[in-house]
Amino acid sequence: MKIVVFTKAAVPLSSAIRIDPKTGTLIREGVPLTANVWDRDAVEFALKLRDRYGGEVIALSMAPPSGIPALESLIGMGVDRAILASDRAFAGADTWATAHVLAKTIEKFIPDYDLIVTGEETIDSTTAHIGAQTASWLGVPYVYYVYDAEIKGRTIVVRRFLEDEGVDEVYEVEMPAVVSVLKGSQVPREISLSRKLAARERIQTISNKELGLDPECVGLRGSPTVVAGMAPAVYPPRKKIVLQGESGEVARKLVEALKQEGIL
Amino acid sequence: MTCKLWPPVNKEEYKGVWVYLERDGDKRLKDVGLELLGKARELAQKLGNSEVGGVIVAGSEEMAREAIYHGADKVVIIDNPDLKTYTPMEYAEAIAQVVQKYKPEIFLIGATKRGRELAAYIANTLTTGITADCTALEVDPKTRDLLQIRPTFGGTQLATIRTPQRRPQMASVRPGVFPKPQRDTSRTGEIIVERVEIPTRRTRLVSIEKRIERDIADLPPVESADVVVAGGRGLGSAEGFKLLIDLAKLLNGTVGASLMAVRAGWAPHTRQIGQTGKTIRPRLYIAVGISGAIQHLMGITEAKTIVAINPDPHAPIMENADYAVVGDYKQILPALIEELRRLKNQR
Repeated sequence: MKIVVFTKAAVPLSSAIRIDPKTGTLIREGVPLTANVWDRDAVEFALKLRDRYGGEVIALSMAPPSGIPALESLIGMGVDRAILASDRAFAGADTWATAHVLAKTIEKFIPDYDLIVTGEETIDSTTAHIGAQTASWLGVPYVYYVYDAEIKGRTIVVRRFLEDEGVDEVYEVEMPAVVSVLKGSQVPREISLSRKLAARERIQTISNKELGLDPECVGLRGSPTVVAGMAPAVYPPRKKIVLQGESGEVARKLVEALKQEGIL
Repeated sequence: MTCKLWPPVNKEEYKGVWVYLERDGDKRLKDVGLELLGKARELAQKLGNSEVGGVIVAGSEEMAREAIYHGADKVVIIDNPDLKTYTPMEYAEAIAQVVQKYKPEIFLIGATKRGRELAAYIANTLTTGITADCTALEVDPKTRDLLQIRPTFGGTQLATIRTPQRRPQMASVRPGVFPKPQRDTSRTGEIIVERVEIPTRRTRLVSIEKRIERDIADLPPVESADVVVAGGRGLGSAEGFKLLIDLAKLLNGTVGASLMAVRAGWAPHTRQIGQTGKTIRPRLYIAVGISGAIQHLMGITEAKTIVAINPDPHAPIMENADYAVVGDYKQILPALIEELRRLKNQR
């Protein structure tokens, strides 16, 4: 089994998010990045399959060099090796241009893959696009929100949960295939510090020199969607009337106010 | 100076605003598709009376008529016995073929779990862009670009996204974000059955079963109630919901829950309110012991009046409430219930 697991070096929400005023895209260069938290479910899922069926797990990420620590921590978790696709030309990519680079990297460097595993979504963009887009690039079947799987010959039998319908479904999918892992469905293993410290030699960095993609089809220029504006989210203004004190009194005031509003 | 992998697009050829109409089993359509037909009508008007279209996979004429009553002028039913059961790749391929044939200027998809699964594959197959989870959609009359507005970076920012060079322009929208239009049975439209061939099937559904989640009360769903009383981690235990249910019943409303309360197992998934749950638009929303993370606030922006009950006057929910009641819900709610009963008896 050759399993590729995607990870995004994401901007943890606690840190200051910086937006490029010219392009409206996220600045990731020089910002401390960590592996997207939901990718840990994906990594755990991939490692469990490897432990059961043998083979290797390769992490793949498109990021600036500051994305290396994220890959190191995944290697610390037990991933065998990692590929970082990093090039200034890739900066500012939307999900189409990102999936393009990921798919071409797989075709060139991991052509004999069996399975691609992604997290359900990223914590900083939450689009859940990349898995389906990569499946479309590679022309392979895919299933989202998976929490359990077994391999039967050339098919993977996946079990998934649709939260909004409250249903569990089982699918048989021919490999190679893409699956996204339901967030919070796995218990990610601990990171081994010694493995993490020795991780650097297991990371292969490639650039567009090796991939040879048309610069017009990657990064900001190769993105069909364009961020035309960015503004702080404003929520509708509220009255903010504070009521406190003895609860009977507070209840009376609140009921009176709601009567005035015509709600009661 | 554009990517050579993008087939040339003649924008003039793309007309109309189309919607993917997801089925809810084999009897009806999911509400989100109907909600999007309402928004599609509005956008179509702004684009100079364009046509509104809908796409149903393996649906019935009855469903198509329902779509017409809610605003569609034309509905395509994809007819292929192989597509009776949902599988992601095969559905996405079939929908992409129909969109390719009818060339809408805008194509909208309801961001249910299945909708999210399909949307990006369809967009990629059509070599166009897609914006996820839009909370507002406008058009720029000059360029006819769809302004796809979405919260990002944890809901702190609103991004406006365009797809200037590619058509169709695609966006997904979560259920409940736009109101469902009035059902008008006098509307007429065209129903077209398209026989679509799909490549050899590579995904098969083996089984499907409903998870039995115990509901906490025999009350209506949160997305259809006028009054919603919701509980969060501050309740301290599942017990706390008892008081909320009493209050909800008195107000002819229903109960909801924050993500934290659902994760704690105090309420079922179906009652979760917020970005990862339901978006609601009640007349009155009462948040009890909910801190008010941005993801939660995103689900209640359309509530007319918000009451928050929380011991912490600085909790974010208190900043986003019309009435911020500072105190312990175990004292406040019984007093409120008593006051409401008195009011009822007076009337």
